Amino acid sequence: MALLEVTNLTKRFGGLTANDAVSFEVTKGELLGLIGPNGAGKTTLFNCIAGLHPIDAGTVHFQEQNITRLASHEIARLGLARTFQIMVASGDLNVLENIMVGCFLHTGSRMKAKAEAEQILKDMELSDLGGYLVSELPVAAQKRVAMATALGTRPKLLLLDEVAAGLNPSEIEGITAIIQRIHTEMGITVMLIEHVMEMVMNLSQRVVVLDYGRKIAEGDPKLVVKDPNVIKAYLGERYAKEHL
Amino acid sequence: METLKNALDFSDFPRLDLTLAASVAVFLLVFPFFSHSSFAMSTLIQFLIFSLYGMGWNTIGGYGGQVDLGKAQYLGIGAYTTSVMLLRWDTPFWISMPIGILFSVTWSFIIGYPLFKLKGHYFAIATIATSLVLKDLFEVWELVGGSRGIEILAGKYQTPDFVHLIFKGDDYYYYVILIFFFIGILFMNAFRKSRLGFQLRSIKDNEDIARSLGINVHWAKIKTYAVATAFVSAVGSFHACYVKNIEPEDTMSLDISILIALMAMLGGAGSLWGPIIGAAVLVPLKSYLKEWLGAQAGMVGIDLIIYGAIIMIISAAEPRGIWGMVEKARRRKRN
Repeated sequence: MALLEVTNLTKRFGGLTANDAVSFEVTKGELLGLIGPNGAGKTTLFNCIAGLHPIDAGTVHFQEQNITRLASHEIARLGLARTFQIMVASGDLNVLENIMVGCFLHTGSRMKAKAEAEQILKDMELSDLGGYLVSELPVAAQKRVAMATALGTRPKLLLLDEVAAGLNPSEIEGITAIIQRIHTEMGITVMLIEHVMEMVMNLSQRVVVLDYGRKIAEGDPKLVVKDPNVIKAYLGERYAKEHL
Repeated sequence: METLKNALDFSDFPRLDLTLAASVAVFLLVFPFFSHSSFAMSTLIQFLIFSLYGMGWNTIGGYGGQVDLGKAQYLGIGAYTTSVMLLRWDTPFWISMPIGILFSVTWSFIIGYPLFKLKGHYFAIATIATSLVLKDLFEVWELVGGSRGIEILAGKYQTPDFVHLIFKGDDYYYYVILIFFFIGILFMNAFRKSRLGFQLRSIKDNEDIARSLGINVHWAKIKTYAVATAFVSAVGSFHACYVKNIEPEDTMSLDISILIALMAMLGGAGSLWGPIIGAAVLVPLKSYLKEWLGAQAGMVGIDLIIYGAIIMIISAAEPRGIWGMVEKARRRKRN
């Protein structure tokens, strides 16, 4: 069953077409990677799905409900959560309180929200950091806080936007394990944008490749990386011609 | 039930804060029993009044980060509702105050809906504009006395009159507003821990993230604006009974709106104690400037210069005010 169904999604910014008739599905329970060179329109696609940008054409269905025209908070309430590339947190909410904000979606009780947030902190290996401001944390921990905050809303589908960017190899290993746990133990369907290929290859059951806003390939990660179109997109036409 | 528990639970503050707060509370409770000048008494009443305005402002302006410079219009609606109802129908304060809140909150929803489509400076300017328009309307509205305002005729009431809130001395007024003050603190203590309180702080931080967490940002702001409004309107009703003579110029002027915001910002926007600290600094300063400097020739308007300077210093040095400095120092010590 398709949990998320994107059909011919088109988004233009003035003369630039950021997403050009993109169609794909996310099946319930899978872990889907979304890759593509810089500027391919990956984050824009996330923003369109999550209701941050109004789209110019196409439809988005979540759990067979048309969410194309819904506001982003309404989409979040249906169980579609996302993280942001840059977790701007200059405010005075500490890590625990940040996660509580998400938990308050399901309860008006501070005690329940706090208990739930503390459990998430534990699951995300952040227990010691609950009292710190997000701005006081190293990048790797900030990325985990971003995921934890989204988890507070109890999502069915979680969109992760470059949670491994700027991390060192051992940190990437840690975050890969956490994503795996979110996927298998918590049973949450995950779609992730990632540039760290190793991580995409390890985690994804399937990948979708975007280039200049268009979907150029889709399928098994091991096969997709051998696709001439994908290599061309990443390395340029000339390099591909000379080396393939 | 949990709300009540939240209101009474101050355990997340350090012991030093609680000791200080308790000493101030005791001082405020026993103050009238010691010999004091009427100037000191009226300054303290002004302090309590402005603390409450500041607490109201602090919900939307402090926790929510929406700089609201139009709170005086709600002070006016509350004050006028109570005065007019008292004059015409002899309505008890305890009935006219909630009706004033009802009017204010209704008005806040009507203007809040379009206002919160605006952001940042545009929002601040729009709040000034709505407040000034309402003031102008009251100035030409003869039914409520136009620019002359209205006077409560206290003579016909047997003092002390707790039903209409008409007293001769300041002592009774002092204790009434002191009770309001304590209720205000408990309310704010519950508010900052409530779902809406958390949502607002998230909105202040980053609206896109707040939306992605399922928060209806526009509606949360409108709701909080109504809470802030109710606070100001209730104290506005009290203000009417206390001064007994209100006119648009001194209840709904831009000065009052700015002073309310300034006190909360100086003390520390977005903190429980901030508005109280701000009022404790600025109210005596304001009274002093008015009493001594204002009376001397050529010194009129010097208070405005000083307020202006304070705004500039806060926004440049520490946007989170005096309390922000305290918290920063504590955080540094802990890390």
